[in-house]
Amino acid sequence: MNRFFEERSRKFLGLLTAVLATVSIAACSEKLEAGKSCPLLCPEQAISLSDTTIDAIVTDTTVLGLPPIGAEAFLMLASHGDTLDSRAMVRFDTLPQTFTARNSIDSSITVIDSAFLVTPIAKPDSAHRPAGPITIEVYDVDTTATDTVASILGSLFRNDRFLGSRTFRPESLTDTLQIPISTDTVLDRVLNGKKLRVGYRLVTPTGRGYDIRIGSTQGTAAVSLRIKASLDTAATAVVVSPLSNTPLNQSFLAGPLADFTIVLKGLTSSPATVLAVGGVPSRRSLLRFDVPSHIIDSTTIVRASLILTQLPNRRIDPRDSIFVFPNAILAGPTVTNAGSALGFIGTNGQFGLDSLLIAPGDSGQKSFEIVGLVRTWKGNPTTTSPRAIALRSGLEGQAPGEIDFFSTKAAAALRPRLRITYVPQTSFGIP
Amino acid sequence: MSPRRTQTETNGRAIRSLLVALLFSAISTMRANAQANLSSQGFGFPTGQFSSRAYGTGGAIGEMDPLSPINPAALAQLGSRLVFFQIEPEYRSVTTSNGTERTTTARYPVVFGAIPFGSRLVMSLSSSTLLDRTATTVFNTTDTIAAGELVPITTRFRVDGALNDIRLAGAWTAAQWLRVGVGVHGIAGHNLVSITQSFTDTTQFAPFTQQRVLGFGGAAASAGLQVFSKTWNASASFRVGGKLDLSSEDTVLTSAHVPNRFGVSLAYTGIPGSSIAVRTAHDTWSALGNLGQNGLVGVDAWDTSVGGDFTAPRILSHPVFLRAGFRDRTLPFQAAGQDVMEKSITAGIGSAFANNRVLGDLAIISASRSANIGASEHAWTISIGLSVLP
Repeated sequence: MNRFFEERSRKFLGLLTAVLATVSIAACSEKLEAGKSCPLLCPEQAISLSDTTIDAIVTDTTVLGLPPIGAEAFLMLASHGDTLDSRAMVRFDTLPQTFTARNSIDSSITVIDSAFLVTPIAKPDSAHRPAGPITIEVYDVDTTATDTVASILGSLFRNDRFLGSRTFRPESLTDTLQIPISTDTVLDRVLNGKKLRVGYRLVTPTGRGYDIRIGSTQGTAAVSLRIKASLDTAATAVVVSPLSNTPLNQSFLAGPLADFTIVLKGLTSSPATVLAVGGVPSRRSLLRFDVPSHIIDSTTIVRASLILTQLPNRRIDPRDSIFVFPNAILAGPTVTNAGSALGFIGTNGQFGLDSLLIAPGDSGQKSFEIVGLVRTWKGNPTTTSPRAIALRSGLEGQAPGEIDFFSTKAAAALRPRLRITYVPQTSFGIP
Repeated sequence: MSPRRTQTETNGRAIRSLLVALLFSAISTMRANAQANLSSQGFGFPTGQFSSRAYGTGGAIGEMDPLSPINPAALAQLGSRLVFFQIEPEYRSVTTSNGTERTTTARYPVVFGAIPFGSRLVMSLSSSTLLDRTATTVFNTTDTIAAGELVPITTRFRVDGALNDIRLAGAWTAAQWLRVGVGVHGIAGHNLVSITQSFTDTTQFAPFTQQRVLGFGGAAASAGLQVFSKTWNASASFRVGGKLDLSSEDTVLTSAHVPNRFGVSLAYTGIPGSSIAVRTAHDTWSALGNLGQNGLVGVDAWDTSVGGDFTAPRILSHPVFLRAGFRDRTLPFQAAGQDVMEKSITAGIGSAFANNRVLGDLAIISASRSANIGASEHAWTISIGLSVLP
């Protein structure tokens, strides 16, 4: 009998245990609804935001020539009459002298059946297709003179150096253009172990400007030279990638010069009252801030807007919108040269810095949201967290459009300002 | 294997089973949320420091219950070592003109241990929740930060923590009719306060969270007595509050005093194993007023209850106790400038298991809270207490 009751007791105990556990677990499944009872019963209210707009930009300047020659992600090939004329240079300083013939046998190149410049381009969308056919001409631009000076290189685009050309209908501008060049010239360079350096020129109908972007070695796809050294269809074509051997024994400088852009017409400068982004030559702007520490260090910033007033630039492609990126300056204050500082910048989107899509011909106030960067200044000295940003074009060196803003040297109402919305230091939490 | 050993193993299994269930329960109720309500105003909700057993009677036997860390004299009733733990989920609904909100709060209001020394002296160490401030409030506002610029903001205000009463107490059976006791109290705890604000416009605004830990430190002393006969038990206790500081990191922000409390109860114990009691207590919660900001109003409040603890017929050889009670009190802090009243009806059951080495108590409390501000609150609280005699 006792055994029976003991057994029942154990079952009862187990049941009670299950009930206890179930009730406890049920206690966890809470619902959290928005405060319908607020503000009547809310013991705490939202912290109010404070807002201030300050002349926090202590210095600003525009530096031309950034990115430097050879650092373009795309090569800008433009023809806008007297307004803009830019050419693309591609160097093949080493050419192979053998090819793979039938049956995988290496053979010396003695004849060239065909030579093409395989030219990747950024495919234009329907709004950016040329109105009519365009022609791309290629010239031999090898010279013993200074080989990066635009005026010298520009003078080499003449008939006796013509290598080839091709005309393209607008719809044929897809992703890669094949441009035939002189087989005799290529063979001569191969047999004599010489450099082949080519210059691209865009030819458009009179009165119709156009520009295309050619892939570069700094981007994802570069121009290549495709040589077919045999009439035999079974022979493998030789594909040569761009390479620059000059300056001699300075690979750090020579590497980027495998392809680059030169501007023959249309170089502009920016007046002191303007902060410019993009353009020809490409430029970046630098802005240094001085935000009171009682805001930076003693509050929580929830919004920081760099307010710039744009002035229209209708020189080239005024309606072609360009992304303008604010980038963090990574160089410390020991780097005082603006050009050098603008060479050490963060990547697009870093620190949550978002871009604005702006057309060069627009005007009015533009607001760059830089709260993600400004927050990093809290508690950090300027030596490790420089209070500066760069403005750069998303198509710098690739497209001629230029975005202009008024600088701190413009009229007071037009100067850059920093608007900060912040949460003041509060003694929250005490009922 | 001897029968005694078999019985011991059975008891051991039962204890382990309960402890595992209790641990599992504790883990599963780690999260607790609440929101704007009547009961958690100011520094929080006073759980009452009752054990589940006392809660079953509406708190009427609180002055004579050794597991409720109120009257130190009551400890003298304990005849053996004992460890006690209590969990107390509360299911709460708050109704205003904007609608009804339902929340759940999990509490662990009492942890208790006691050791007898000889036949007359019992020492005890306990921790109980004096004021539970665990709450989460989520609400939307629109801030005007510049001329004509309206910014919608969602604010999440969360407070975790409580003001706890850690008591070291001793009780002495001075005579066949008298028990006396004293206790020293450390009033400690913290509130982890975090506020998160997020914005509808995520392109311009970045959300933020600020956190702050508010710490409490104070002291109090208590004393109590019980005068009893075979048919009556009269108990009384008082607590005298010392200084109480509110600090953040190493800075004392405000100071006040631990509320004084006085309680008295009278119980009829003429029915073997049963008690019918009435109790009233008075807390000077206004002493906490200076601990908060201007506008925080603590209310000196009465807490009165009546209830009974009755021995029921055994079930499956287990002793069974049935309890019921009624409680009427004023909560410590005003809501929107009005006193908050609470009326509750309670019921409970208790039994012993594992050869009387495990005591389990369960109480269910239905509480209605109101204030003259167009808001009401109703709560179901389940109090589960487990005593183990190791």
